[in-house]
Amino acid sequence: MFLTPWLIGLFCFTLGPIVYSFYLSFTRFDLLTAPDWVGLENYRRILTEDPKFLASMRVTFLYVLFSVPLKLAFALAVAMLLNKGIKGLTLYRAIFYLPSLLGASVAIATLWRTIFSADGLINQLLWSFFGINGPSWITNPKYALWTLVVLGVWQFGSPMIIFLAGLRQIPQDMYEAASLDGASGWRQFWKITLPLLTPIVFFNMIIQTIEAFKSFTPAFIISGGLGGPVNSTLFYALYLYQEAFSFFRMGYASALAWVLLVIISLFTAISFLTSRYWVHYDD
Amino acid sequence: MNRRQFLAGGSATLALAAAGPAFAQQQRLRMIFWGSQTRAERTYAAADLFMKANPGTGVEGEFLGWNDYWAKLATQTAGGNAPDIIQMDYRYIVEYASRGAIAPLDDFVGTALNVADFDPLQVDSGKVGGKLYGISLGANSVAMMVNRAVFEKLKLPLPDASTTWDDFSQLAVEITNAGIRRGFYGAADGSKNEQIFENYLRQRGKALYTADGQLAFDASDVAEWFDMWAKLREAGAIPPADIQELDQQNIDTSLLTQNKVAVAYANSNELVGYQKLNKEPVALANFPRLTAESKGGHYRKPAMLFSVFAKSPNQKAAAEFISYFVNDLEAAKVLGTERGIPESSKVRDALSGTLDEVGKTMLSYVSGLGDLAAKLPPSPPNAAGEVLIAFQRTASGVAFGSQSSSDAAQAFVTEADAILKRKT
Repeated sequence: MFLTPWLIGLFCFTLGPIVYSFYLSFTRFDLLTAPDWVGLENYRRILTEDPKFLASMRVTFLYVLFSVPLKLAFALAVAMLLNKGIKGLTLYRAIFYLPSLLGASVAIATLWRTIFSADGLINQLLWSFFGINGPSWITNPKYALWTLVVLGVWQFGSPMIIFLAGLRQIPQDMYEAASLDGASGWRQFWKITLPLLTPIVFFNMIIQTIEAFKSFTPAFIISGGLGGPVNSTLFYALYLYQEAFSFFRMGYASALAWVLLVIISLFTAISFLTSRYWVHYDD
Repeated sequence: MNRRQFLAGGSATLALAAAGPAFAQQQRLRMIFWGSQTRAERTYAAADLFMKANPGTGVEGEFLGWNDYWAKLATQTAGGNAPDIIQMDYRYIVEYASRGAIAPLDDFVGTALNVADFDPLQVDSGKVGGKLYGISLGANSVAMMVNRAVFEKLKLPLPDASTTWDDFSQLAVEITNAGIRRGFYGAADGSKNEQIFENYLRQRGKALYTADGQLAFDASDVAEWFDMWAKLREAGAIPPADIQELDQQNIDTSLLTQNKVAVAYANSNELVGYQKLNKEPVALANFPRLTAESKGGHYRKPAMLFSVFAKSPNQKAAAEFISYFVNDLEAAKVLGTERGIPESSKVRDALSGTLDEVGKTMLSYVSGLGDLAAKLPPSPPNAAGEVLIAFQRTASGVAFGSQSSSDAAQAFVTEADAILKRKT
């Protein structure tokens, strides 16, 4: 009974569209006329003759590969600082968490565009402190993706909160014993903190990887919706959106979505399979 | 009913406008259009006048930026709940008409819809397969937006009908070298602007597309086009690629508005928007000629049209609204020339006395193209939007130096052919 609203939501707004998109992925559908069954044609094209699919895969993998580890490292470092028992912890925690709340929003992406543009804040700082005439970061294909990686890392708030909770779980007497034995802070980190934290690292890694694969808003805003300059920020989700809503190929876009689902599932499965070699559950 | 949603750039604001009491209204018309805040204000003012004149009908409008507009319209059309009145572009009218998404308006002509004062050729520009699917809201042509203050300050002649690309290049280099401020260039980089490319092709006796939707140019045309811009870039006439990329192809981010160049490229009716955002006076000029003899690059086209959704239950009322929009003299006063030069001769006559400086400039520009203007090309094929994006990406690649002009030209023609042939 109490589940009814949730069930209605599930069937109408989640399962329904999922099933429909699976059907559409086998059709040609331009939104204006009825879908037209084409069998596996969309999938064949994606896998064998779509250079934009490969380009967007490359961009997305680079983004996942760099933004996720950097973000986790940053989140852990900040969590450990906050865990030292400084005054005003709740305030700092809120401040550091703020970018995560704002990060995916349109406003921040617009701000980012301004900061990294030709006469943006970054270049003004470079000019006044080092006399360097910086490039226009976001509109140069060499740097555009990396500004988005920095934006991604900056939103380290939610893994940080989870790390912080994890750090609180580690019994203090372990550190006391280690100190008595003369272990340095660095050694304590590698031998106590990190091993005991691996389940949390694992959890954060999975969540952040999935998020990174689905990344859309920053690239959409910063590149003006086209994944430019020269496809350097053509994220997979952006390409999918383009196919669906700029070129009216809803069937093809649905097939792209299912391919992404398979790729994310594979990634997650591999992570789970390898996890027993490095994740320590306290038992 | 008197609520309208202002949607621009993803942020939504709600504005309330006073209108008659809701209970008195029997029918409600929805309208969707793309454009700037300036256009929205004028359109809503005209809609208010219509509602005063027709107390039984309410009109609510929604406006978006060009890029978001087509995504939203396609989704709404698919869902069967598109607005009754749809602002349509010459680029998309064939696609929407041939798929039955917009209604033929022939039955309303002479009754609900009055086009008696239109130039018959301009009425025909809204026809697809012999049926009338769109009513032109104004005529425009592509144009250069010129910062007149810069030219006057440097005592340079404004580009005009006799200017060639070589002359233009020299002007632009002189402006850059004058060093008005750090990072100020003569002209914007137009290498990814399909409209200038089309103008250039037409001057060479070619076109973008043939009547049956195939490419009407070859790789050598494209290679020479990229080379022309590469020379301008080398000479310092136009900004480097990463500066040009800051332009997101709207009036707000145009390098002219951002005060980084003295010349940018747009449609003549956009002068209203440009002048509103630029402190310095903006003049219109035609695109340069290839040689003194070449002609016919420009053409007058419907800047935009109004169409009626095929499943709209209020088609007659929608036609009445469109008729009011293009014929009523009170409405014409608030709309001005923001959507181009009005098509109705009566409206043009009534406006001519009251036009402001911007309107006069535009009128004399569009009517004074002379031998620079030739026939309207056929409306582009369905996949033209995707070819355009490929063109822009290729041009950016050349500008950033990642490909030579000839390699890029070959790659683009191959890609464009594949796009036009693509089935799924």
